[in-house]
Amino acid sequence: MISIRVNGKQHEVDAEADTPLLWVLRDELNLTGTKFGCGIGLCGACTVLLDGAPMRTCVLTAAAAAGKSITTIEGLSKDRSHPVQQAWIAESVPQCGYCQSGMILTAVALLEKTPHPSDADIDAAMTNICRCGTYNRIRKAIHRAARA
Amino acid sequence: MIDDPHQLSQAVSRRHFLRLAAVTGGGLALAVSLPSLAAPAEGAAPTPGTPPAPGVAPAGRSIRPPSAFLQIAENDEITVITPAVEMGQGGHTAMPMIILEELGGDWRRVTVKDAAAAAVYNNPLSGTQMTVGSFSVRGWYMDLRKVGAAAREMLVQAAALEWQVPTTECSAAQSVITHRPSGRTVSYGRVAARAATLDVPQQPVLKETASFALIGASPARLDVPAKVDGGACYGIDTVLPGMLYGAVKTCPSFGGKLKSFDAAAAAGVRGYHSTVALPDGVITLADKYWQARKALDKVTVDYDPGPLAALDSARVSALLRAGFDEPGVVARQDGDARAALAGAARVIEAVYEVPYLAHACMEPMNCTARVDAQGGEVWCSTQAPQAAQKAAAAVLNCPPERVTVHSTYLGGGFGRRGEADFVTQAVAAARAASRPVKLIWSREEDIQHDFYRPAAAIRFRAGLDAQGKLTALESNMVTASAPNFGPRPGAPLYTVGVVDTNYALPNFLVTGVNKDIGIRFGFWRSVSHSHNPFMLESFIDEVAHGVGQDPYRFRRALLQHPRGARQLKVLDLVAEKAGWERPPPGRHLGISAFEAYGSFIGTVVELSAVNKAITVHRVVTAVDCGVAVHPDNITAQLEGGMVYGLTAALRGEITIDKGAVMQSNFNNYPMLKLAEMPRFECHVVPSAQAPGGIGEPGTAPIAPALANAIFAATGTRARTLPLSKLDFTYAAVRTS
Repeated sequence: MISIRVNGKQHEVDAEADTPLLWVLRDELNLTGTKFGCGIGLCGACTVLLDGAPMRTCVLTAAAAAGKSITTIEGLSKDRSHPVQQAWIAESVPQCGYCQSGMILTAVALLEKTPHPSDADIDAAMTNICRCGTYNRIRKAIHRAARA
Repeated sequence: MIDDPHQLSQAVSRRHFLRLAAVTGGGLALAVSLPSLAAPAEGAAPTPGTPPAPGVAPAGRSIRPPSAFLQIAENDEITVITPAVEMGQGGHTAMPMIILEELGGDWRRVTVKDAAAAAVYNNPLSGTQMTVGSFSVRGWYMDLRKVGAAAREMLVQAAALEWQVPTTECSAAQSVITHRPSGRTVSYGRVAARAATLDVPQQPVLKETASFALIGASPARLDVPAKVDGGACYGIDTVLPGMLYGAVKTCPSFGGKLKSFDAAAAAGVRGYHSTVALPDGVITLADKYWQARKALDKVTVDYDPGPLAALDSARVSALLRAGFDEPGVVARQDGDARAALAGAARVIEAVYEVPYLAHACMEPMNCTARVDAQGGEVWCSTQAPQAAQKAAAAVLNCPPERVTVHSTYLGGGFGRRGEADFVTQAVAAARAASRPVKLIWSREEDIQHDFYRPAAAIRFRAGLDAQGKLTALESNMVTASAPNFGPRPGAPLYTVGVVDTNYALPNFLVTGVNKDIGIRFGFWRSVSHSHNPFMLESFIDEVAHGVGQDPYRFRRALLQHPRGARQLKVLDLVAEKAGWERPPPGRHLGISAFEAYGSFIGTVVELSAVNKAITVHRVVTAVDCGVAVHPDNITAQLEGGMVYGLTAALRGEITIDKGAVMQSNFNNYPMLKLAEMPRFECHVVPSAQAPGGIGEPGTAPIAPALANAIFAATGTRARTLPLSKLDFTYAAVRTS
């Protein structure tokens, strides 16, 4: 049994200790907004916030996340009201949308640390992959969220 | 509500159908018998620039059977059943926009549902139910307008009957019908049931384009909200009661077969259920996905490596280049290019070559399947519901209509999800286990078992007269694109992008040779335009420089004829917006322009270079895509397409060793990231022409524009891709 705290709620999960947090979130807790993309921590589709920091959960075991506060895309707001979500809507960022949960949570963490990020700050923080090529809109949305 | 339109016999009369719909749905389910195939929209007929979908003859001249695209509930909720799936290209917004424009429906009350697999949803232009080839808006524009207009007329008629007034005294907008003299109003939902009992007008009156309220207005994409809160459901998110999870590995070398496997060690993995043999690999099943992955690692597999075990990329390249002088197919022959070349004052010759490419959709291939005694159901991200249906039925040995396909959002498609190999696997596993199965590929399986953009090569020869005028062009193309890319009438699809050039070439010969090397290949965003414009537009540039002419003006001179007019306008616009005549000091420009998928596109890249270190400062694109249905999405698609093309041009390469793909994940098949994004400007030419494609064309112009700018800056002509292989490095800056 692994005990993890997700979106403010404590869960006891019956999974092997080496199970990546990604699959615990998706298959045990049915939080499917966190996506599987590469399995080796390179694309960022599986990003969640772990004590506020962006973490790629396909390479993080659930056991390692025990005792920490996990925020998934489902826990960011109840009604898409988080400023980053609002900025994403205003800039019409998503295309296929598959990478966007990870992008949004990475942006949330960036803005938490750096409320008014420069382009260089955004370059350094936003290393997730988007195959639809929404990058410039992501940049605009982050600047917009910073102004909000 | 018509949940299962494909069960409706074509023999059911239209009136019967509508009554049935009204009774079961409590609202209007409109079916329109559309004579559109007999009279395609102007400019929408397939031309060499707008090839029909793969393996499908152009649509016949028959009357389309009745079908349901639209439901209006009593509470005024409008459901649009969209024949185009949503993979990021905007189909779930554009399809309802076109219907609601003519319907006069309230956009705020619209929801979208994917169509089931059924012939009634075959695209009027491509003849298939595939969301590919930038066919959606091009194919459905007139037909869906007629659906909306006919529904509006029926709703108005129903209200007029209720009020006992002439329809001419009534008007409709925002889902409300108004009787103008009395001021009475009624909402669509209140008269929908009655409207459904009326005959469908066969020639509904369409709006003047000048009075469009939705088309051209860029309403917010309907799929965005669900994509910012984790709610959007992709194939991989499907959950069925009692389902097992599957992980798969197949023979690394193409054409290889499973000889034997030993799953004894997998039995020790918690949750392990079973191992299913495939012709070319194995699927492990377990209670959870991670358990299935762990079990898969413990299964030892013995493969017959198959006939390609000695194949490598050097051999592929040699096979391509050995084919230039084979006779092949004559795809186009104007005048006598060889005689003109023999008599030319000067001949310029060059060979261009591109490698295989993988799609790398962000959502790895997956499918969830449930099987019963009669047939089954599959849930998947697919561009081709009927292909998924047929693949499942083939495994189950049942008629296709016994398989229900549930389409979901696609986490990227790019042509990869027109295939159904993952459906075949999932259904085989579900049948073997007698349990529902969700099969999820690893990224490694996804990269190594794709249907690749084929490697291709062209040898060009240009003949010039003493004044430097281009008098002859010969293009000998060799690729690995058959037989999947055909048959189709006319020129082979893989030559499109060369064979249909708008340049005036009095003597023009295009030949094509298929080398079916055995590496599986398929459609990759922009298809043949992913390589042909790179090759032709680079070569035209090479010829212009060779005769000491400005590449922009050299192109202009080749477009001084009626068929070149739209391309010329786009070429001029992009040159003007990019400041072609006066680049900033230290900056170099490269240009490309051509027709693709019924649209005309041009791009200029502005860069600076220090030796082979390239810095891109700006990418400017202009497009004439006819009526701009959703201008904001046009910009998004052209920018996204540019990223897809730029990634490939810079570093995209699938290489082969021992018949297998050497790349496996994003570490060795790297993607462009945000920090590498150049500034992008997009200019849309106002146009009232029939809509052209927008998802595909944007991928194509960046590679030639970039290569041409690199030549301008460095004097080095990049005749092969990716540029990383030629030791160029890349960076982007956002400020000028």
